[in-house]
Amino acid sequence: MARPTTLSRRRLLATGAVVSGVAVAGCIGGDGDDDGSDGLVDPEEFQYDRSEPDDEEAARDSEIHYTQEQERAEDFDPIVSNDAYSFQVFTQVFDGLFEYDDGLGLTPKLATGEPDIENDGTRFIYEIVEDAEFSNGNPVTATDVEHSFIAPVLEQTENAPTYSVIESTEVVDERTLQVDLSEPFGPWQIMTQAVTVVSKEDRLSDVEAYDEAAPDTVEAAPDAVNEYVDSTYNDDPVGNTIGSGPFEFESFELNGPATLVRRDDYWGDPTPYLQRVTFEAAADPSSRVSQIQADDTDVISGIPDNTWPELDQDGIRRYMSQSPSYMYLAFNCTDEADTSSPEVRRAVCQSFSMQDFVETNASNTAQPITTPVPPITNEQWGFPMDEWNDEYYPEYDPDNAESLLNEHAPDDFNPTIICPAGIRADLAERVATRLDEIGYGAQVQVLDFGTLVDTYTSGNPDDYEMYLLGWTGGPDPDTYLYNLFHEDSAGLNQGHFYEGSDSFHENILAARETADQEERYDLYEPVLIEILEQLPALPAFTQHNSMASGTHVQDLHAHPDVATNPQLAREYGNVWVED
Amino acid sequence: MRLLRYTLFRFAQAIPVLLGITVILFLFINMTPGDPIRIMTAGQEVSESHLAYLEARYGLDRPIHVRYWDYLSGFFTGDLGRSIHYNRPVSEVMMARIGPTLLLVLSAFLFAVVTAIPLGILAAKRRNQPSDHISRIVALFGVSTPSFWIGIMLIIIFAVQLGWFPSAGLVMPWDAPSDAGLSGYFWHMVDVLHHLFLPMIALGTLQMATIMRVERTQMIDSLQGEYVKLARAYGVSERTILRKHAFQVAQLPVITLVGLGLSTALGGAVLTETVFNINGMGRLLIDSIQQKDYQVVMSVATILAVIFVIGVIITDIAYAYVDPRVTYGEGE
Repeated sequence: MARPTTLSRRRLLATGAVVSGVAVAGCIGGDGDDDGSDGLVDPEEFQYDRSEPDDEEAARDSEIHYTQEQERAEDFDPIVSNDAYSFQVFTQVFDGLFEYDDGLGLTPKLATGEPDIENDGTRFIYEIVEDAEFSNGNPVTATDVEHSFIAPVLEQTENAPTYSVIESTEVVDERTLQVDLSEPFGPWQIMTQAVTVVSKEDRLSDVEAYDEAAPDTVEAAPDAVNEYVDSTYNDDPVGNTIGSGPFEFESFELNGPATLVRRDDYWGDPTPYLQRVTFEAAADPSSRVSQIQADDTDVISGIPDNTWPELDQDGIRRYMSQSPSYMYLAFNCTDEADTSSPEVRRAVCQSFSMQDFVETNASNTAQPITTPVPPITNEQWGFPMDEWNDEYYPEYDPDNAESLLNEHAPDDFNPTIICPAGIRADLAERVATRLDEIGYGAQVQVLDFGTLVDTYTSGNPDDYEMYLLGWTGGPDPDTYLYNLFHEDSAGLNQGHFYEGSDSFHENILAARETADQEERYDLYEPVLIEILEQLPALPAFTQHNSMASGTHVQDLHAHPDVATNPQLAREYGNVWVED
Repeated sequence: MRLLRYTLFRFAQAIPVLLGITVILFLFINMTPGDPIRIMTAGQEVSESHLAYLEARYGLDRPIHVRYWDYLSGFFTGDLGRSIHYNRPVSEVMMARIGPTLLLVLSAFLFAVVTAIPLGILAAKRRNQPSDHISRIVALFGVSTPSFWIGIMLIIIFAVQLGWFPSAGLVMPWDAPSDAGLSGYFWHMVDVLHHLFLPMIALGTLQMATIMRVERTQMIDSLQGEYVKLARAYGVSERTILRKHAFQVAQLPVITLVGLGLSTALGGAVLTETVFNINGMGRLLIDSIQQKDYQVVMSVATILAVIFVIGVIITDIAYAYVDPRVTYGEGE
């Protein structure tokens, strides 16, 4: 049975008076003190033990309605789709070569086990399980896996950059695939071999013509091959989107409900208890909360921070997991910017308390972080976060901040902070308030996302000195460090334009070009320490994944990867409904 | 015949207005900062060449006047282009969204008119009596309370606390199962009304309150008119005076209000759709603006402009039909 959690403090928080108190504290920005207490909700307390039904037959009649937190882009073709909320649906329809375990570790699914690695980590040989079948009865073959790896590159879909390191592939036999990379790529195993496998024959309207039009090497050829992709595969998923997963599409309404039904002939293990699951989005958080309170849905994802205590009521169960999300405050490090000096950046970071901010604004759904590698990602790597926190992370010290600014900042130091609306705007306001308290100040500009992207990638100090954004990576530090700190990403995914020490960018690049994790650890360690010392960006906080369900929903677990929530039929949870 | 000519004239006048709207919309949308391709690829490792490819794929690398011309010519042939965000034809995306918005707005208007006019008449007839005071309080509440707040309150009371109505979503009348039969269709329509009730009230309350206030004022004016006094002097019954003499004259401003209230209702629908999680045009427009999905924004905004212009024209025609003093343009 699910393990109930009884948390008296949270029950206390459920009273309106205390909730109002928290809200007011959030509005006025707290008292600025950091007494070191930790009033944060621990995600571990909202993870539950496995539960199995007493009556399996009854459980197999289960149906649930799942409310997603964002609207889907309605891309159900894994080759094309890069939308987490479409992925939540089609990940039930397609199996991956590997899939995440209950954390961010990988476990084989369509693969028989770990690949054989040859040629200095550039050749991966995968063996496919024998009995895997698509929903139309066709076997899953190495040809299908090969197509799933290289089609994003050939067709230049949004997923192309992920697989562009592939130089060639070879189908050794029906169940063996060889993938050769152009160079050793550190994140390959942990990031990309969890490829979602499609049926090549069903996805393409003309397989032969597609193969003939495709170049011999793995390179972009969209104009040649795209006309042979069957558009119904994505646009009309019912009966056309063929996967090897435990569910298949039963009905679909554009921007409306998408209903999946269990495949009773599913080849894998476990077979779902759920007979049917309907996905529907509600982007408005209060609407989602109302739906679960009114019992109009079985599960909602994405609980707003301020309603977390409110949902601590009979008939509703809350779930939480850490996530690989990373929120940060970045500084414009170009020579002309007032924040080009590391002392100025440190002063800004010491002018406010991140711990206090998170406690007053997001204590239920977030936690402060020390490095650009979130704690859940660090579980795979083991960097000494606590030690670095004590040694390098800028502690709240307004007196020191003031003296640093007096010494290193221009007299009229009044930086512009750009950010999107929401909690990051709250943080920007907090920074501005604290800077004001020590005799300086800041201008906060809340921008829509498009404008923000245009602005923060310009590097123009007239437009911004600081920006607040977030990034969701995965189990590999490369996704954070290369995209958010390497010079190749300047003007694309990062706008701090930090030059770094001689080895800073070299290490990041070297780490992605080696497959040895220990070697990569050694390369990343000085990079992470330099980030904390020089502060091109201050790690702010990570936001947790959360869900809520009626207590009739059993064996549901929040997963760190938002795109694979809900995990409906996995080794780590097989959802069923109790009458 | 004169009415027909007037109608055609008004529609002809609307063409340059709509063209002007499309030009202004297109310029504004394209002048706003933000690149849809950068938004689409945000959070990914992308190369400049891949960004350039995506730009070319969605035609964003072409000059703005070429894109406008393509949009306009496509619009008249029914090809609204392809959504960048949804990667589907815009017409398909819009068709899925227009039904819920029309159902919501029209039902809210129906609710507003059906309740406001009798209440307005009642309040005027029983001026300064308790029923008049109650009507005025209701009207004051209606005009001074945002529709989304009413929606939230309705959800909390009637969906969460009492459980009488669903808290989200709409059921479309035309979505009844094909094999439902008469009884099945009846229960389907009950389900439609069950889902529609709360959002309809939330959106229609402002219109209802506005119309009721005007109706009451106009009816009071009418009932004090010389022609009403004369009718009373001739011994015409109060019911006939109310129905035949006062009512028709009092409706002229109400007709204007209903017609022009369409734009207010479409604006209010955005928030109502959000609160009740209805996948309508309003939410599509907001989401598309955030995604900089130019083709969808242009098409939705143009369709809304067409609906509004048609609403205004119908108002003008109705006005001309009801009030003999309004000419059909001969003197203009």
